[in-house]
Amino acid sequence: MEAHLTPSLLLDIVGTGLITGGIYALVALGLNLQYGLMRVLNVAHGEFLMLGAYVSYSLHTGWGANPLLTLLVTGPVAFGAGLVLHRLLYARVLAHPEARASLESRSLLLSFGLLFVLQNLALLVWSADLKGYSFLATPLRVLGAVFPANRVLAAAVALGLSLSFYVFLRRSLTGKAIRALMDEPEGAQLVGVDLMRLHGICFGLGVAMAAVTGSLISMLFELSPFIGLPYTVTALVVVILGGLGNVLGSLLGALLLGVVETAGVYFVSSDVRLISSYAVLSLILILKPSGLFAR
Amino acid sequence: MRASRLLLGAVILALLAAPWLATNYQRSLLLAILADVALAVAWAFFSGPSRYLSLATGAFFGAGAYATAVLGGRVVWPLPVLAGAAVGAAMAVAVGLLALRLRGPYFAVFTFGLAELAKHALIWYETSVSGTVGRLLLAPPGASALYYTVLTLTTLAVAVALVLRRSRWGYALIGIGEDEERALTLGIDTTRVKIVAFALSASFMGAVGAAMAPRWTYVDPQVFSPLVSFQTVIMALMGGATSVAGPVLGAVFLGLASEIFLLRFRYVYTLALGLTLMVVVLLVPSGLAALWPRRSGARPS
Repeated sequence: MEAHLTPSLLLDIVGTGLITGGIYALVALGLNLQYGLMRVLNVAHGEFLMLGAYVSYSLHTGWGANPLLTLLVTGPVAFGAGLVLHRLLYARVLAHPEARASLESRSLLLSFGLLFVLQNLALLVWSADLKGYSFLATPLRVLGAVFPANRVLAAAVALGLSLSFYVFLRRSLTGKAIRALMDEPEGAQLVGVDLMRLHGICFGLGVAMAAVTGSLISMLFELSPFIGLPYTVTALVVVILGGLGNVLGSLLGALLLGVVETAGVYFVSSDVRLISSYAVLSLILILKPSGLFAR
Repeated sequence: MRASRLLLGAVILALLAAPWLATNYQRSLLLAILADVALAVAWAFFSGPSRYLSLATGAFFGAGAYATAVLGGRVVWPLPVLAGAAVGAAMAVAVGLLALRLRGPYFAVFTFGLAELAKHALIWYETSVSGTVGRLLLAPPGASALYYTVLTLTTLAVAVALVLRRSRWGYALIGIGEDEERALTLGIDTTRVKIVAFALSASFMGAVGAAMAPRWTYVDPQVFSPLVSFQTVIMALMGGATSVAGPVLGAVFLGLASEIFLLRFRYVYTLALGLTLMVVVLLVPSGLAALWPRRSGARPS
């Protein structure tokens, strides 16, 4: 149990933590987009990650597609699916004027329904057996610490996508409209922001981010139809940590959680990973519900 | 009115006589459904009117089951159930003091995290401190004793729900659900009302957990199942959480469906369950009980 903190060990922990955190960032960003903007807690978020992972697995093992290129399939398909789901499910719930008060509980239930449907669909199609493939499993040496190349690649792609989304939010007109809706829903609608259209886009983007993260994860870990929920929980922790609707907060929160978890696993045991993330979640909720990085 | 009273009387008589009339399988099915009814009713009498969506049912249920696992064989039967109720209530008071000022999804997330935290902390404790992964249940009570225990709990839960909705406390909870700040300015001690009602609801969940534990020969931390939390919410909301009949209806419907279909067509059943849930939420927003012709006193939501 006792370990001396040498510089290379520190690098190892921080590096591994940042790699894990980079992957968390992209899932969490997707959830934050849906939760922060629509106040819709989508517990089926991780299921889209799971489906994205399986689609990439099937494309790679069935047609020999390069796993990285499968992102170009899972991303757009998931975005389209998200738009359709939003139109079919959430737009109806939001449109019900008398049901606005119960919006949160009803949309939560809808996503529970979705979770059951998607998970069992995956069980019927891909069965409960673990599935996986090996891709770029070569070691990569950085300053005396060793990281698997596929993880570095996955984290780099995830972080790159997260950052480009951040830039999109700050620079593009759509991005500005989304931020306006998050900060001041009524005011934004007064100046002509189309709520329904943007909700659809955000839901679609959220689903796409989960699916793309899934594609990346399929290169690293074995898949089962049950991998979704833990990622949903982690994403929730990150969103709460960083603050609702706070994109930069989610990014920092994800990296922080990644490092804390890795350190916990290294110094105590792998059992503490979940305990620590739930404990962090509870503490933040009690002490600072607006998130660590609230303005 | 008379016909429905007769029907109710017949149901009560049948429930009382069930241990003599039913086969083992039927009795155990009935037991599971009664427990589901108790959980859903207990969940709904707090979360329905107050709109605090609790996902901690699994935590209280699991704590109750552990009460039986620890005490079982050392004390006479109904005592573990009382202990389960006490543990559930104590946990709810602690959680309530911390979390009941969180509104909306924050509260739901917190309570969900609580159940998972309890489970993983217990797994860690059991493996690294007591060196086991679970506990054997010693000297479980007989099948009839179990059945009547659960029947009593279910009846009590329904009775409490019926009394509560017509009481000052029930109206205070509705006031909190509609506008908590207004309720506070009207002179309602919202913190006290919320914590007491939450603890009452949790004491039933703990008691049901304690009473259902002897069904398994072995209790491990997996009894802190998020599935219990989700199922309870789904049952209550499917039937309609603002009435008493709603959660009963939802629990009977889902309890029967899961017992009949779950083992045979596992994936297809759960898939259909998800679809049903979505359809109900979209088409019957106030729950199945709203389809009942005369919904007396149900609060429009």
